[in-house]
Amino acid sequence: MRIQVTRTGGLAGRVQRAELDTSERRDAPHVHALAREAVAGGLRAPSYGVPDGFHYEITVDGRTVYCADPKLTDSQQELVSLVLREGE
Amino acid sequence: MTAAARRCTIVPPFVLDRLAEQGHEAARTSLALDTLHRESRLATALPPPPPAHHLTRTIGDARHGRRLPGRTVRAEGGPATADATVNRAYDGLGATFELFEQVYGRHSIDGAWLPLDATVHYGVDYDNAFWDGSRMVFGDGDGEIFVDFTSCLDVIGHELAHGVTQYTAGLDYQGQSGALNESLSDVFGSLVKQYALGQSSDRADWLIGAGLLAPGVHGVALRSMKDPGTAYDDERLGKDPQPAHMDGYVDTADDNGGVHINSGIPNHAFYLLATALGGPAWERAGQVWYDTVTGGHLAHDAGFADFARATAAAALARYDRTAADTVTAAWSQVGISATG
Repeated sequence: MRIQVTRTGGLAGRVQRAELDTSERRDAPHVHALAREAVAGGLRAPSYGVPDGFHYEITVDGRTVYCADPKLTDSQQELVSLVLREGE
Repeated sequence: MTAAARRCTIVPPFVLDRLAEQGHEAARTSLALDTLHRESRLATALPPPPPAHHLTRTIGDARHGRRLPGRTVRAEGGPATADATVNRAYDGLGATFELFEQVYGRHSIDGAWLPLDATVHYGVDYDNAFWDGSRMVFGDGDGEIFVDFTSCLDVIGHELAHGVTQYTAGLDYQGQSGALNESLSDVFGSLVKQYALGQSSDRADWLIGAGLLAPGVHGVALRSMKDPGTAYDDERLGKDPQPAHMDGYVDTADDNGGVHINSGIPNHAFYLLATALGGPAWERAGQVWYDTVTGGHLAHDAGFADFARATAAAALARYDRTAADTVTAAWSQVGISATG
């Protein structure tokens, strides 16, 4: 599974992109479950969020959803943190 | 039509969702706007203000979680705590309240003594601060690129100024109106700091987030109103992308249409006006901007030129033709006509 996360906005207005390929990961089943939950709880169009809040675009195997702080679900939170931290 | 009525939509979101899924472009646009409006309705559904006619601050500690408001760790009049972050947030709310109360006669951010609330230690290594529609939320930073977001008084003022804009001009947080919303927060955030330090416009640093970058990051701040585009140039953080002139206006879909990028243009116009007028920036330049945002003549989707015209009109109403001409000249220097 390929998971891409783009984070934009924030007080600094930075753009951060990362991609995680789960094929070599031991925790792949956990990450896959997280990704499915994150997509199920996402919006199908970008949300304008709150002033200075981060905006996220999550793409899992070609399907894209959107979410924004502070209204991330626990799965979305865990997934975007993982991908931005460990993805390339 | 009232603002509330304008925000009501007739097509249910799930229908738009279905159409958008099938590739219907207009439905996609509507859905995006619908989401925005739903969020703005939620954001303005605030509890009624208490009758207390004084500053009321409450600081919550999220203890690195994401639950708001967090445990209350300092309330109005309470003693300083052992946590410097809590005390900085408390003092920053006070300094912001002081500017609006003492200089512009505004009673808190809503003009009706709204209690000022903040939550600190939000999330883990969280690299941001935001205004959620009713409170300010601060992360601790990851220590590698950013440090504690309560470190800068102008950042605290910036977040609260989003509240002032929400309660007054209500500028949409996208495109040019979004960049104006951002710029107003930078302007009043910087004025909170300048007022607290007693600095005149020629002594101020005109930086947003000075001291927010972690040691080793090549830069001085997040943004420079004096010289947009020069605040940082770092391997990890990239280069400050702000333009200082309409020639450099950035068209992008990211960041709600580059609201934190193109804000450099109105930011620089304010700096040019304040330094042309001289003396403390919160006095005449700040008053003109304050009159503009609270005057009730600005549309929620106002663009840069609309805003520029409104500032020239505000300067003429409050001061005189000379002041209005100085405002027009400042906008002209960033490539915007305030007379068209």
